[in-house]
Amino acid sequence: MLKQLEEIRNAGLSRIKDAPDSDALQEVRQELLGKKGQLTQILKSLGSLDPETRPAVGKTANEIKNFFAEKMKEREEQLLSSESVLDAPIDLTLPGIMPQQGALHPITQMCYDLNDAFLSMGFEVFSEDDITSEKYAFDNLNFAADHPARETMDTYWLEGTENKSGAERLCLRPHLTGASVRYLLKHGAPARFVYPGRVYRNETTDARHERAFYQYEALVVDKDLSFSSGKVMIEAILSKVFGRKINVRMREGFFPFTEPGYEIDMECLVCGGKGCRVCHNSGWIEVMPGGVIHPNVLRAAGLDPEEWSGFYANIGLDRLVMMRYGVDDVRYFHSADLRFLEQFK
Amino acid sequence: MYVSLNWVKKYVDLPKDLGLDQLIYDLTMRTVEVEGYENPAEKYHDIVVGKIIEVKPHPNADKLRICITDIGEEELVQIVCGGCNLYDGEHVVVCRPGAEVIWHGEGEPVVIKEGKLRGESSYGMICNASEVYLEDIFPPESDEYIVDLNGQGTPGQNIADLVGMDDIVIEIDNKSLTNRPDLWGHYGIAREIAAIYKLDLKPLADTAVHTEGLPEFPIEIDVPEKCMRYAALEIHGVDAKKESPLWMKTALIKAGLRSINAIVDITNYVMLDVGQPTHAFDRTHVTDKIIVRNAKEGEKLELLDHNQLDLTTYDLVICDAEEPMALAGIRGGRKDSILPETSSVLLEVADFSAPTIRKTGKRFDEKTDASIRYEKGLDTERVDQGLAEAMRLFKEIFPDAEFTAFGDVYPIKTERAEVKITKEFMDVRLGKEFSVEDVKDTLGRLGFDVDFDGTTYTCLAPTWRSTGDISIKDDILDEMARLHSFESFETKPLPVNFDHAVNQPKENVDRRVREYLAFRCGFYEILTYPWVDDHFMQAAGITPDTTVRLATPPSPEQANLRTSLVPGMLQTAVSNLRYYDSFRVFESAEVFQPGVYHESTEDETLPLQKHFVTGMLVGSDPKLLFFQAKGVIENLARTCQVEPLSWKQVERPAWADDNVYLNIMAGKDLIGTLGLVRVSTLAAAGIKHAQLAIFEFDEDMLTPYKSRDNEFVHLPVFPLVEKDLSIIVDEAITWQEIEQAIDKHTREVKFVEEYRGEQIPEDKKSIMLTVKIGSDKGTMKAKQIDKQMNKIVKTLENRVGAQLREA
Repeated sequence: MLKQLEEIRNAGLSRIKDAPDSDALQEVRQELLGKKGQLTQILKSLGSLDPETRPAVGKTANEIKNFFAEKMKEREEQLLSSESVLDAPIDLTLPGIMPQQGALHPITQMCYDLNDAFLSMGFEVFSEDDITSEKYAFDNLNFAADHPARETMDTYWLEGTENKSGAERLCLRPHLTGASVRYLLKHGAPARFVYPGRVYRNETTDARHERAFYQYEALVVDKDLSFSSGKVMIEAILSKVFGRKINVRMREGFFPFTEPGYEIDMECLVCGGKGCRVCHNSGWIEVMPGGVIHPNVLRAAGLDPEEWSGFYANIGLDRLVMMRYGVDDVRYFHSADLRFLEQFK
Repeated sequence: MYVSLNWVKKYVDLPKDLGLDQLIYDLTMRTVEVEGYENPAEKYHDIVVGKIIEVKPHPNADKLRICITDIGEEELVQIVCGGCNLYDGEHVVVCRPGAEVIWHGEGEPVVIKEGKLRGESSYGMICNASEVYLEDIFPPESDEYIVDLNGQGTPGQNIADLVGMDDIVIEIDNKSLTNRPDLWGHYGIAREIAAIYKLDLKPLADTAVHTEGLPEFPIEIDVPEKCMRYAALEIHGVDAKKESPLWMKTALIKAGLRSINAIVDITNYVMLDVGQPTHAFDRTHVTDKIIVRNAKEGEKLELLDHNQLDLTTYDLVICDAEEPMALAGIRGGRKDSILPETSSVLLEVADFSAPTIRKTGKRFDEKTDASIRYEKGLDTERVDQGLAEAMRLFKEIFPDAEFTAFGDVYPIKTERAEVKITKEFMDVRLGKEFSVEDVKDTLGRLGFDVDFDGTTYTCLAPTWRSTGDISIKDDILDEMARLHSFESFETKPLPVNFDHAVNQPKENVDRRVREYLAFRCGFYEILTYPWVDDHFMQAAGITPDTTVRLATPPSPEQANLRTSLVPGMLQTAVSNLRYYDSFRVFESAEVFQPGVYHESTEDETLPLQKHFVTGMLVGSDPKLLFFQAKGVIENLARTCQVEPLSWKQVERPAWADDNVYLNIMAGKDLIGTLGLVRVSTLAAAGIKHAQLAIFEFDEDMLTPYKSRDNEFVHLPVFPLVEKDLSIIVDEAITWQEIEQAIDKHTREVKFVEEYRGEQIPEDKKSIMLTVKIGSDKGTMKAKQIDKQMNKIVKTLENRVGAQLREA
């Protein structure tokens, strides 16, 4: 009998070890320890055994039962640790299931990047309406009465007002600078604010020219300001936006609403300032006209130029976005073409 | 504008160690934007002077000759040539193998190789003028006519060296010159370079005008405010058939002009030199005198090509005793033209007012080298420089010429602008202290006279900077800043201001709405133009009488400014349906309506300008699209932190379906609409096989919370019980009615689905919903749950006539 038990033990152990998965193991469990199992049968029939051998057989049978239980637990753990959730292998290169897709326009993205940078420096964001008047677009800004930009071939005047003048001659704003006077009239000085927005020029479009494009202008008005602070500001902003130090330079420029006026160039991001086709081999890209506010503009805003000073920086947003992504045709921005917009998720 | 460095060097000695890149950099940083440069000699590499020793016939071709030529190499070379004017001893232009020429004067340059022509070897070629960029210097008589250098040059000498093309020509961006009338000539640029490097500027040859003893030439100026000075010099003994000397031709060509004849070339040269336009009339065409006046009503100016310009009474004309001869400062007419037989001229050196030239030039769409200079505002003193320079050149080129009469009417003299600026203002605003010597030296080199009384500088600007350029003290700041280079100033950070933390709820809402739509709801943001296409405006049912219009639209069918972003959406749907069958886009932009609005000051009346946000869902299942769009709006208020929105059906926009639209309400204000686009609009827009749901609202009408406001609600202490209900109600019963009916008896009511069809009677629908119920006192027991559910079913029966549907 003991010999038989020994056989049961050995056979059972190999059944347990050979069980390929949890289900098989469960079957083995039934077989070995279930009511119909040999071991149970033996234990059940203990009464009919010779009283002398009974204790030894009973003990051994129980030991084997415990042994099986232990081994099955081991095997179960072993099986679990190597078991996969899936029955069958899967192709891991299949595409993922996308979350709902959508995106801000790349120009809006750039605008928000700039907003974040300027807000962190205590600037407010101001928006002016798209339609303005000659008074705010030109007169206030020290544009000469016969400045060419006032012509219909440059500016979109509104029907019925095109032959009037000043506050009565209305147009889609040709630049953002007019908003500076509106803000200063409303809030006074000192002030530091940005005013992003779309501007309009009556011109023929091509890969580099649009009738509607975005500018981003910043203005600081304070006492005893030196114009050179403008360069620090631009450096700080560009570094924030592009995530690394961007070299800029400031040079002579002329705009009616500034004196002195300057152009701020930034190093060409395409070639890193070494010179390439994009920057006409100069290593610099002209991105920002700026300058000290012309005293006549301060007067238009009700401020005394002897007391107050300040400076502008005007960023061509379209151009900056084109630089950021290498977009080579400005007309994509207003195309509403999803094949283009999808790239800026 | 093109600037020849050799020309500049006539007036200023550049330091030997000054590199070209440095010069260009400094000019760009301090004065004008340099766009590029080139050495015109580069295209003449391997093009040399050759001396023909012997011309021999070609054994195999009648039209070709063999020229034994000395090109300065050890041995004579043989060149085959088809020229018609070959002779022994002639000095010609030879392209050695490797030279680049324009073949027959057309197309891109090709490289010359050594080869054979009809069996005879040819070492390069002997060229005609158009093949080697010389047609202006050596005008050919015919295509077969090769350049005859008339004995000039030595064999092997580079042709660029012979004609004076070895130079650097700098191109300056004209836009950066608009405010600097003084820089439109080489002398002005030389002055600027001298000031930048603190070098000596050489004076012009002789600016004194020697006209003593000449009889007076009669000049009348009717409108002195338009013509501040007019000088006329009568010159006899000139010859319009005479060509200019080589140096002058080359100088003009390098500056981008053509050589015409010696008379015209002198007038152009003077302009390029000192920036003063001059003009030569054929003396025999000028009857009696010069009159400068406004054109008369209906007057015309006849041009050389017999076309006539219709003049207005604003246009300034130069007339003789009979009629207009020229449009002042812009162009001549037929009568003033220099003709081949011209032998005497009347030389005009005058100053016209900038606005006059600009306005008339613009109207005739005419920009000439003279007019672009006058447009910038020239000073009257410059006339002297122009006259002296012209007289010198006429004497030099036409030794027999005689000055026979002179007139100079000078009603308005350009006064030197005086600007006072305190030392303190200058130092504070520039952020740097300048010594008095430095200020005097810097400005002095530009022609200013500067006085300092201990506190204030009195700066007397030169006349050439006094026509508007320099007028206020800030202009002096600019001169100081640029000549010391903007880059040289120590940069100072902005002072930090802690009492100005920025919080702009309105601006925040705009950003939150866009980000909500893009990032949570899967919309792509688009930009479209504010002018809308008539086609899509009509499709959207918007009538033009409600729009603001452009006077000069991009195209005739785009004159209306948008009153809604919907037309742009329709257009976007059409263009993208070519590539996609379902997508979501939105736009956040201004729309315009006639109205009265004062944004900043009362004198300015603007139309109404509203900020609209419009979203469009494109797909195939209209009902699904509608409810998806509805979900977007229903979630918007909480997510974007604005006061709640609600629905009402009061006013249908023209583009919306009669049955499927809802107005968006903010409190009592109707701020927008959600709807399916009606079939007629889809058809009119040309949209097939797709359905559109659109929402549009006025973003300015959203009321932002100052900060997040929703209050925390305690989590239920005892578990809620969730139960599904399936009811059958009349078609007319709305979900809202069902929800409101049992609202009180539940913790939450959720719509699951709607069903019509088998087992559901006509005019009825089945609604499946889930309710959650619960108690604050303890976990609900089965009995309590049954009781509560019965109450709910009873209420539904009573309030909306619902029958429980058997599962």
